[in-house]
Amino acid sequence: MATPMKFLIVDDFSTMRRIVRNLLKEIGHADADEAEDGAIALNKLKNGGFQFVVTDINMPNMNGFELLEAIKSDDKLKSLPVLMVTAEARKEDIIRAAQGGAAGYIVKPFTKATLEEKLANIFQKLGIGG
Amino acid sequence: MSDQHPNGNASAPDMYQQLGAITRQLHDALKELGYTDKLKGTVDQLPDAQSRLSYIARLTGEAAEKVLNHVELGKSEQEHVAQRGRQLHDTIAAVPGLGKAMPELLAWSKDVVETAEKTDARLTDIMMAQDFHDLTGQVIARVVQLAGQIEEQLLALLLQSAPASQAVAEPPPGELAGPVVNAEGRTDVVSDQAGVDDLLASLGF
Repeated sequence: MATPMKFLIVDDFSTMRRIVRNLLKEIGHADADEAEDGAIALNKLKNGGFQFVVTDINMPNMNGFELLEAIKSDDKLKSLPVLMVTAEARKEDIIRAAQGGAAGYIVKPFTKATLEEKLANIFQKLGIGG
Repeated sequence: MSDQHPNGNASAPDMYQQLGAITRQLHDALKELGYTDKLKGTVDQLPDAQSRLSYIARLTGEAAEKVLNHVELGKSEQEHVAQRGRQLHDTIAAVPGLGKAMPELLAWSKDVVETAEKTDARLTDIMMAQDFHDLTGQVIARVVQLAGQIEEQLLALLLQSAPASQAVAEPPPGELAGPVVNAEGRTDVVSDQAGVDDLLASLGF
């Protein structure tokens, strides 16, 4: 069982936020908040209290790449793991995310098993969450 | 972004001149054949097509939210049933001799828990299926945007203004591509999660 950590779920579609939130709960991470774009997410992250970010890429105002860049260039936030969960399946986007410091990349549509596996990989790599 | 013409030998001014000539010919042909009115009718219908698509996006979104509401309630109820089943099992087991005298009671209570857990897994599958709204919603938004661009360009043609020079098939550089509608024959995209994992592994991530 993972140690308690607070997730921020970022997606402009409310259905996808609810799906990710419910899946995280089933996996054992019930503590989560939501943001509908990168700009709102960044504000919430700057207020503190989050240990993990799950974000879409294609969003209005501030997209997932811009959010990733903002997180990784902020001294207080750069250690936050960022998992991209997106419909963007172009290789250049996947490479861009990896080079930008994303901890993982899941392409939609995805399964509960995929989310669980990627989270476990990230926790193991970073030595967090058991 | 390269300025090079696709065939690599026509200069930009030449290309615009040719486009201008083609547009003029098209305009004259439309006028002679009496197609201007038909074209205008098509242009007038594009906003209607856009609003119909937006309507589909809205309704499917609302339907997905309704399903999620019921799934969340159903999951909570199944958890309650499973919990009661476990309590029932423990209670029967705690009564001296009852488990031995009526072993079916223990089997039934176990069955209740297992069935509730199976139903919970089915509810998770139903929940996951609602991701169609995100994917179709993104595609619909893109088509609505495309229809807007086509309308704009057809209007420009009708008004015989500058030649249409902006391609609509390719998103401008830097713009995200959105969900892949058909990955067959494409090498620039991955078709599933295994493709993502292989690509990242090949790059050492």
